[in-house]
Amino acid sequence: MLRRELNELLTQTGPGTPMGELFRQYWIPALLAEELPEDDCAPVRVKILSERLIAFRDSHGRYGLMDEFCAHRGASLWFGRNEEGGLRCSYHGWKYDVTGQCVEVPSEPENSTFCANVKLTSYPLVRIGDILWTHLGDPARRPEPPEYEFIHVSPEQVYTSKRWQESNWLQALEGGIDSSHVTWLHSGALKSDPLFKGARGNQYNVNDLKPFFEVAEADGGLFVGARRNAEDGNYYWRITPWIMPSFTLVPPRGDHPVHGHFWVPIDDENCWVYTWDYHPTRPLTGAERSAMMAGFGVHSENIPGTYRPVQNKDNDYLMDREAQRRGEHYSGVKGIAIQDASLQESMGPVVDRTKERLVPADSGIIKARQKLRKAALALRDAGTTPPGVDPAHHRVRSAAVVLPREESFLEACADAVRATAGVPHATI
Amino acid sequence: MSRPILLNSCARAATAAEARFRIDRPIAPSRGTRVVALDRGAEAVVRDVAGHPWATARFFTCPPAAVLGRRDGDLADVALLGTDGTRSRLSDELDGADAAVMVATSDDGAGAARAIGDACTMRAIMTAGLVLAGGHAAGATVSALRPHARVLLVTYDENDVSEILTALRA
Ligand code: FES
Ligand SMILES: [Fe+2]
Repeated sequence: MLRRELNELLTQTGPGTPMGELFRQYWIPALLAEELPEDDCAPVRVKILSERLIAFRDSHGRYGLMDEFCAHRGASLWFGRNEEGGLRCSYHGWKYDVTGQCVEVPSEPENSTFCANVKLTSYPLVRIGDILWTHLGDPARRPEPPEYEFIHVSPEQVYTSKRWQESNWLQALEGGIDSSHVTWLHSGALKSDPLFKGARGNQYNVNDLKPFFEVAEADGGLFVGARRNAEDGNYYWRITPWIMPSFTLVPPRGDHPVHGHFWVPIDDENCWVYTWDYHPTRPLTGAERSAMMAGFGVHSENIPGTYRPVQNKDNDYLMDREAQRRGEHYSGVKGIAIQDASLQESMGPVVDRTKERLVPADSGIIKARQKLRKAALALRDAGTTPPGVDPAHHRVRSAAVVLPREESFLEACADAVRATAGVPHATI
Repeated sequence: MSRPILLNSCARAATAAEARFRIDRPIAPSRGTRVVALDRGAEAVVRDVAGHPWATARFFTCPPAAVLGRRDGDLADVALLGTDGTRSRLSDELDGADAAVMVATSDDGAGAARAIGDACTMRAIMTAGLVLAGGHAAGATVSALRPHARVLLVTYDENDVSEILTALRA
């Protein structure tokens, strides 16, 4: 349960809100690199943190992210022409470069300096890995670029997708921290999904449906450990890192690639779910990549040309009661991503947390909310840099290991939860 | 697929406007949370938290030699001292409880944790352990609690205790 004011504090991320300012401390995904595939390609409308922006890639391969609306009379630059080193508004021809600087106002006399004083708000847009990253905060506090492992492995080792989710970002993130739902909602996937099945660890999940949980502090957020009984009195641990504000990694299964998510608020009632699979030490196989593109694992099958899933709230997520009865999909909805989306969207655009009845198994969520609130208030009141801004905090891994009973998962896995290039990950 | 005929008979009803029609009734507090300070360091925190208004939670400390020996086949019982000064026994306090929250700052309370954990397992009561790591390494405390708490949280801020209880509607 959360008091109404706290629910509002954590869910509102527009300019000037405490959580909005918190998000503006970080580099966050703005687009997939594939959305701006070549120089002078079509500009893309982007809304993040309740700001409407336009992204484009100019004739020289430079990326720009700026106010969507022309400084002249407010027409959308999406209708503009991306050519000769800038984006020109189609209405009266004002032209902007990737920094938002107006470089030409055709109605002004030749050699006029008028346009020098016209600049649209703009943000950096930097390609690292498959993602174009931006920082919407104060340039003076701009951190070093992100160092998450999945954006630094070679392109053959990673596949990244995204989907639109019609809910507030926090209930989506909470799904990523709440490991206890996996036993129920995603139980079908352990048997059938090509990107999950066959791992030895899956047996432990199936044989022990009541895991114990341990929530520990990390420099950048939390580690949530779920332990189940393994053979010979040992424990099977699944360790999920959460790095603030909204990065998580799913613990691995066998030699399958590792799944991860980054949730980015679009506005207070919608978010982008960036989803990737990467293998720290080998290229993805053709079969793996095709499965991901087909929406298996944690990816979704999207309506072609969009990032809206084919299964969405307008078609009841293609609910299949027969598949539910057969035990193929626990909820009757196909695919892990849409299983999550369907339930999280069903809670309403912003779930009313004054009504919920949390239980101790929800401790990871309780802790994450606490950390977000404290960080947002410390930033507002004292300018404190929040956890997860320092790129050193990004270099984490998830892990799945069997440990003797008395071992502490974080001490035993100190190396396993640290990303070290070329070193195999801890998985079973 | 059958076609919904009313807006609220399909998933599109998950709008802010439709949320107005969700049933709005007061939510009952949890049935009973028992909060036990396992060691001296935890006592001050638990006494402090006990001073806030709670729905049904009750707060205890463990007096010296709190674990009462096990008779044959029996589980050990624990002598508890309520923060209001009343004396009682764990076995009585667990009647009607739905969660036991153990608060620890050291591994001194390992014996009590085991007795509480066993008693709760037998009665199907959820257990949670809160380890307050005030600057020092919490490893030993965590190991002491691990087998006996279904959920373990390590925290550096003692205000977390009351926040977690609030989240649980204790
Ligand atoms: S069981 Fe958790 S939301 Fe329904
Ligand atoms: Fe999920």
